[in-house]
Amino acid sequence: MSDNPVDINPGANGGATPLLASATAAETRVPRGLAVAIDDFFLPDEARLDERTRIALAQLLRALIDTIEADIREQGAQLLSSRGESRLAASVLRTEVGVFERLFLSGLLRDSALMAELMARVRQDAITVALPMNAPEDPRRPSLVNRFVQDPDRALASGAMAVLVAESRRRGGPDVAQLTYTDLPAELHHRLVWWVSAALRERIGDVADGALPVLDRALSDAAQRSLAAYDEGGRLEAAAMRFAAAIDAPAGELPQLLVEALGDRRIVLFIALFAHALGVGYPLAREIVLDSADDRLWLALRALDLGRETIAHIGFALCEADPRRDVERFADRLDSIVAIPVEDARAAIAPLRLDSDYRAAMLALAGTRAVA
Amino acid sequence: MNAIDRALPVACGRLDREGRLIDAEPRLAELNQRAGGEPGAPLAVPQIATLARLAQRLGIAISRNVVAADGDDDLDLWIRAEPEEGGVRLEVSGWRQRPAWRATASEFEREGDFFRSAADWLWETDASLRITFLSIEAGDRYGFDSSTMLGQPLTRLFRLEQDESGNLPILDAVAAQAQFDGQKAEIRGTGRMARLAATPRSDPGGRFAGFVGATHMLEAPLPPEPGPDAPLPAPAAAFGGFPDSFSQRLDRALRGPLGKIIANADSISAQLDGPLKPDYAEYASDIANAGRHLLGLVEDLVDLQAIEREDFAISLEPLDLADVARRASGLLGVRAAQSEVRIDKPALDETLPATGEFRRALQVLVNLIGNAVRYSPPEAMVWIRLERDGDKACVIVADQGKGIALEDQARIFEKFGRVDDSEPGGSGLGLYIARRLARAMGGDLTVDSAPGMGARFVFSLPWRG
Repeated sequence: MSDNPVDINPGANGGATPLLASATAAETRVPRGLAVAIDDFFLPDEARLDERTRIALAQLLRALIDTIEADIREQGAQLLSSRGESRLAASVLRTEVGVFERLFLSGLLRDSALMAELMARVRQDAITVALPMNAPEDPRRPSLVNRFVQDPDRALASGAMAVLVAESRRRGGPDVAQLTYTDLPAELHHRLVWWVSAALRERIGDVADGALPVLDRALSDAAQRSLAAYDEGGRLEAAAMRFAAAIDAPAGELPQLLVEALGDRRIVLFIALFAHALGVGYPLAREIVLDSADDRLWLALRALDLGRETIAHIGFALCEADPRRDVERFADRLDSIVAIPVEDARAAIAPLRLDSDYRAAMLALAGTRAVA
Repeated sequence: MNAIDRALPVACGRLDREGRLIDAEPRLAELNQRAGGEPGAPLAVPQIATLARLAQRLGIAISRNVVAADGDDDLDLWIRAEPEEGGVRLEVSGWRQRPAWRATASEFEREGDFFRSAADWLWETDASLRITFLSIEAGDRYGFDSSTMLGQPLTRLFRLEQDESGNLPILDAVAAQAQFDGQKAEIRGTGRMARLAATPRSDPGGRFAGFVGATHMLEAPLPPEPGPDAPLPAPAAAFGGFPDSFSQRLDRALRGPLGKIIANADSISAQLDGPLKPDYAEYASDIANAGRHLLGLVEDLVDLQAIEREDFAISLEPLDLADVARRASGLLGVRAAQSEVRIDKPALDETLPATGEFRRALQVLVNLIGNAVRYSPPEAMVWIRLERDGDKACVIVADQGKGIALEDQARIFEKFGRVDDSEPGGSGLGLYIARRLARAMGGDLTVDSAPGMGARFVFSLPWRG
């Protein structure tokens, strides 16, 4: 058995030209490769993706695209066979080469909104598994969300249930590479669905033999179906935000809820409770909580009038879960954090409560002032 | 060792504001002493001292799971440090020795990953054994509503069964904070049985925080619960210690993919999509043949598992062994032609009435004739003769191969008993299975042969007069 690709080369004549071309290209490729390595070497450590995040990101991205691809292929093949195009249906189902590589190399995925969401999700997952658990003093006492499932208030009980369902669905089954659901914000899900459909068209178009219009219609219908079936409201983050709103924790209960959510490793719920209390959207709250260099977290906790003990618990748990945080440094700063008057903290984070598009526009405009 | 040794109590100690040891219970005092510390001096176990200082600075009770050196050993410790008036109070538990070579991931985690990867679906609970996570698709697949089970006690989803000694493995595991495997349970309301396995989770203070569990579905429904006086049924013997579901899973997991590999390799080899370089077409045919070999092995293993069960049953029916032999020869005609071997099969007017199960008798003869074809040199002949020997109906399959030495003749009927491992093909299970089947039908399978003289197999079934 040979795995040497040279074998399928037609011979010396056919091979010479590409070889010369590749040798010429090497002249530009080598310095470019070096440039990339130099850039990589001088990246500040805080800004670099660590290896775990990088691998998890690659796995997540592939799983998302494979999941969407499988869905579109299946829907597309069904549509085609119901339209009497069984040969084309079979080509759509053939799964030899997925579209992931094509999309990955295309540059389309270098989409900042998509990558921001995926990186946040990967960090969120990494923190979830690294958070120190906190078992109850009384082993018969159920964990936080499980207690709410029993709540006589139906809104609370169903909100808690929805969080458990969404989290179970997010985590999936024993086969980690298989997702049942992308669980992305609708806009990003839409974008991925159309990219995957276009890449599939390119892949299958070659064998469509003049049936391209039929294929186009089937793929676009399949994408439409997939989009119609997608419910953004079922996302874990959305469910957690609804639950946090249903709880609408009074100031006296918030500290306990926040600390207990972390102790149960429910980081998404923690972020949702924090976001609701602060009056900001989930993505901003997530950014503040997950970014280890973001001091807005401490300001925000003070703005919520949380005391020293609660802030210490939250800070300790996050430091234990995130290797980029330094618990000794946090302990050094704890007293100065607690010393911030609540009113000052509220004033400092007030802009965060503004409409996120408005804030984005302000930031964008501020960026152009220097140019003008 | 899996269980956390609960026999070793928590050792408490107190430090003053400067981190000096005020007093400590013996175990902690001794550990500190072996590390070079003494009462009144700063605590000499750095991991514990660090945590104590941190607790004091943060002003809250904190816990951490640490590994501390103790002489030549490493100790796995759970430390809880709580600031109190005038210093810090320590609680140290765990006290497990940890081999120095062990990887950083905890033993539980690694074993957990292993058993979870083979599971049908997963679940997790909190300390109160209420479900915090479920593989959501399991409900649809096995007939319960996943969403209503979340947050509920584990026992709402599963009806747990006692083991032979009348215990519930899961409860023993809670008490010992240990792993368990082999908790039998019914998924309530579905009649479906499963085997549960799980690993405990602890918080950094060493307290039980719930289970991370796996469910292995048992395919065959279990017999109804015996009354209190009824003797317990003997457990079905499982092949090689594997549960019944193993071979079913093997079958399911391998048959489909192998079929696909073979079909695709065959179509490459037949050059259906256009011409290929000849050696590539040949590689594809090698792939297809290797795939067929594996598929045969899977089928043998599934058969083996079936016939080794104590409740394996054959349904006896009247059959014509001559007809069975002709059909078996027909099935192998193509292979024989490829190897340039001729099969001399019974004439169409011959009959040999016998009792057995048609499908199983055919399986035995396909195996025998297949072997004869495989071991025959080109241009050779395989003879199939019918004989009645008293109350036995016999089919004799003889070949012109290199024969089987006397000392090997018993071995070929053993499990994986192959004479020459360098020979291609065969799993070493075929003859073992064939003889088991023949005997289960009230007949037998024997061989007589000498090196250089070819082999002669006699398959007999009860004659039907």
